[in-house]
Amino acid sequence: MHASIAGKEILKGINLQIGAGETHAIMGPNGAGKSTLSAVLTGNPAYTVTEGEVIFRGKDLLQMSPEVRAREGLFLSFQYPVEIPGVSMTNFMRTAVNAKREHQGLQPLSAGEFLKLMRAKRALVELDNKLASRSVNEGFSGGEKKRNEIFQMAMLEPCLSILDETDSGLDIDALRIVAEGVNKLHTADNATIVITHYQRLLDYIVPDYVHILADGQIVRTGGKELALELEQTGYAGLAEHPNTSANMVGTAQ
Amino acid sequence: MQELHLIQGEHKHLVIEHVADDSAQWHIVQEAGSVLTIHLFCLDSDAAMTGSVVLDIEQTGEHAETYIYGLGILTGKQQIEVRTHVRHSVPNGKSNQLLKFAVKDEAKGSFVGELVVDPHAQHAEAMQTNRNVLLSPKATMHTQPQLEIYADDVKCSHGASTGQIDESALFYMQQRGIGVVEARQLLLTAFFHDVLTTLGEPIVEERIQRRIAQQLA
Repeated sequence: MHASIAGKEILKGINLQIGAGETHAIMGPNGAGKSTLSAVLTGNPAYTVTEGEVIFRGKDLLQMSPEVRAREGLFLSFQYPVEIPGVSMTNFMRTAVNAKREHQGLQPLSAGEFLKLMRAKRALVELDNKLASRSVNEGFSGGEKKRNEIFQMAMLEPCLSILDETDSGLDIDALRIVAEGVNKLHTADNATIVITHYQRLLDYIVPDYVHILADGQIVRTGGKELALELEQTGYAGLAEHPNTSANMVGTAQ
Repeated sequence: MQELHLIQGEHKHLVIEHVADDSAQWHIVQEAGSVLTIHLFCLDSDAAMTGSVVLDIEQTGEHAETYIYGLGILTGKQQIEVRTHVRHSVPNGKSNQLLKFAVKDEAKGSFVGELVVDPHAQHAEAMQTNRNVLLSPKATMHTQPQLEIYADDVKCSHGASTGQIDESALFYMQQRGIGVVEARQLLLTAFFHDVLTTLGEPIVEERIQRRIAQQLA
């Protein structure tokens, strides 16, 4: 898959296959295209896919609007969660959960059922009740925002979650809570893409595969030990290796 | 033009919901201690409507209070002009104006807010805020705050802005599965929230909420 923003090509032929139950880490230097990948997958209108296709659970993802992608089970934990003053977390979440239920042909949750669900999921990421009653992300600290992302992930129970630099701006305690939340949500039926700069997050969320993205292409794929190797050699050292383990993941172009 | 005279200490609440005829044009005089609250709702569905709102208010007695709260969603080819003129002629008056408009399609809106504090109207407290959101590239909003403050011991403030809906907030909501129309509704309900809460009447508030939703659909 190729994608560009404002005429500039950022992704230059990405092949990636993610199976149910798998966790994939995507690492790479600044400007490699990591965030572009998550933006393209979720349908951010700023980006244009110029070549290739994305098949999500048998369906053509790129033909779907961003909201339909979400209802089909795609979730992005934003690198910079957006503050929405005046829109309460409760109202926001209820609208989102019920939009997904409607898409699945289910009845909307009653107020009681919904609040029960909120309570249960809030506990998972130790999100303060006070935050849940405020406007979406408004006045939240960096750590609270990231925790709130994982809370929303828990509420929406996606099939594929993309965690875009979820570790950035987190201290070690917040990182642990967020990672534990992600791990608790992991099942044999869902999958996670962890986009990160650093090995640190992968100590907590252990990937099945690590992909190195550089200049819009995946230059290497390996197991979790690749992240450790990267820690020692840096990105410059890795670029010299051929993509020897590309057959570990199939191609989906 | 309709005339209204608030006698000493009188409280009056006007709700203006039809702006296509002269029922939206008022000249109001307030005597001492009177309190005037106006709610203006420009939520007509007629896409070709033109309307003119005039709220010409003079405080002639001390300790009078004037509150003007307004919101509107202009659609289609509507053209609506809202003109407020609040005059503090005597000391110790209070006034607050808060008006918010969302303009869709090819509609044109205009707000002219004149606020006059006469030389001897000391200790006046006067505020005026106008915020607007343009929902389409062809929508226009003209805003013209006009403050004439001739007294020196007063508290006055004003602000005017015209912007667009926050695209990043819209995308964030879509990424959670919320459709564009509903996301916009949530954002605009939030935008209008502070005006709506001044109503203090849940039944009217709910009715206005429904009309907001209809206008945005």
